[in-house]
Amino acid sequence: MKQGNDKYLKIIDLLRRSKPVLDSTGDIEREVIREISRIKEPIFNLAGLIDFLFGWVYIGWVRRSFVTVSLLLVLVFVYQQGVIMKQINILNRQLIITGGEPSASGFQHFEKLLMMYKRSDRGFTSRDITISEQQLKELIETINELQIKYQYIEKLVEEDPKLKQFIEQKLIENNQTKVNL
Amino acid sequence: MIDIKLIEECRSGNFNNFRKLVEVTSPFAFSVAFRMLGDGDQAKDVVQEAMVTVWQQIRKIRSASVYKSWVYRIVINKCYDNLRKRKRNMEYSANEHTWALLSDTVSHWPSSELENKENAMIISVLTNKLSPKQKAVFVLSELEEMTSDEISGITGMSKLAIKANLYYARKSISEMLEKYLRQ
Repeated sequence: MKQGNDKYLKIIDLLRRSKPVLDSTGDIEREVIREISRIKEPIFNLAGLIDFLFGWVYIGWVRRSFVTVSLLLVLVFVYQQGVIMKQINILNRQLIITGGEPSASGFQHFEKLLMMYKRSDRGFTSRDITISEQQLKELIETINELQIKYQYIEKLVEEDPKLKQFIEQKLIENNQTKVNL
Repeated sequence: MIDIKLIEECRSGNFNNFRKLVEVTSPFAFSVAFRMLGDGDQAKDVVQEAMVTVWQQIRKIRSASVYKSWVYRIVINKCYDNLRKRKRNMEYSANEHTWALLSDTVSHWPSSELENKENAMIISVLTNKLSPKQKAVFVLSELEEMTSDEISGITGMSKLAIKANLYYARKSISEMLEKYLRQ
């Protein structure tokens, strides 16, 4: 072992003295400068800037949170659109009254009454039937005509007592109650 | 001795004299790389890579005074990578000529200094069985004659680990010399 140690010391001494010689640093310098020129960073690093500004999107939990929030927003939007469409459909079916205050006679008077009737929620509701403005006008005109005819008949009856008596008698027979014209 | 001013210039981002820094750094970096790898060409490659790393990261070092040990660390790490690759690719096996050269060297001690080629051959034979860490400790301690504090600073190993690695390196080489060298 002592011999081995002796040989070891001799070899180590020789290796220490025999410093590896770098014949020329020129090659290394050239290669290093060439490599540096190749990978030299650009003055304005666009990729770095983009990464700095938007790099956070690659964080898993942030990404998942944003996806969840965006899905929720889409669902809320779809729900709202549904509600709005439903409301528009309801409004379409409702009576639209235009113009100023209704007067107390004739067509406008009836219109006002019809509106009050509708608002009181009696009888039919606008949700159950569909009626256009034209149809409504025709209805009101028919009623007005009937009213005029009724007034004309009433006048005739008032002027002729015999006729009045006859009609009263007939009405009593039909309705079994007393009627005063 | 490296000019502190030169290092400070590069640290502050002025690379006008980087070529000069390469010139003064390369010899000692080459020495360690050569002794670690036992191959002049590979050692040159390692030094080139190390100098590129120096260029990229010199602004990160604490002060100019730690430059040399920092470069050593870069070189050692690059040598580790190289040795790992090499281990996958080939195993060095000593031939008769190498042992004859070693035998002749020992018998004619103290002889003149070795040429790079002979030097590389002997180092390769002697350190072939050592792990990269043992090799690093052996080269830095025995050949570069560094203290355990310096080696610890470069390799990040504890003093105890350095001592243990050096012991196994010495033992392995001594046994090899004892076994194969004729008197």
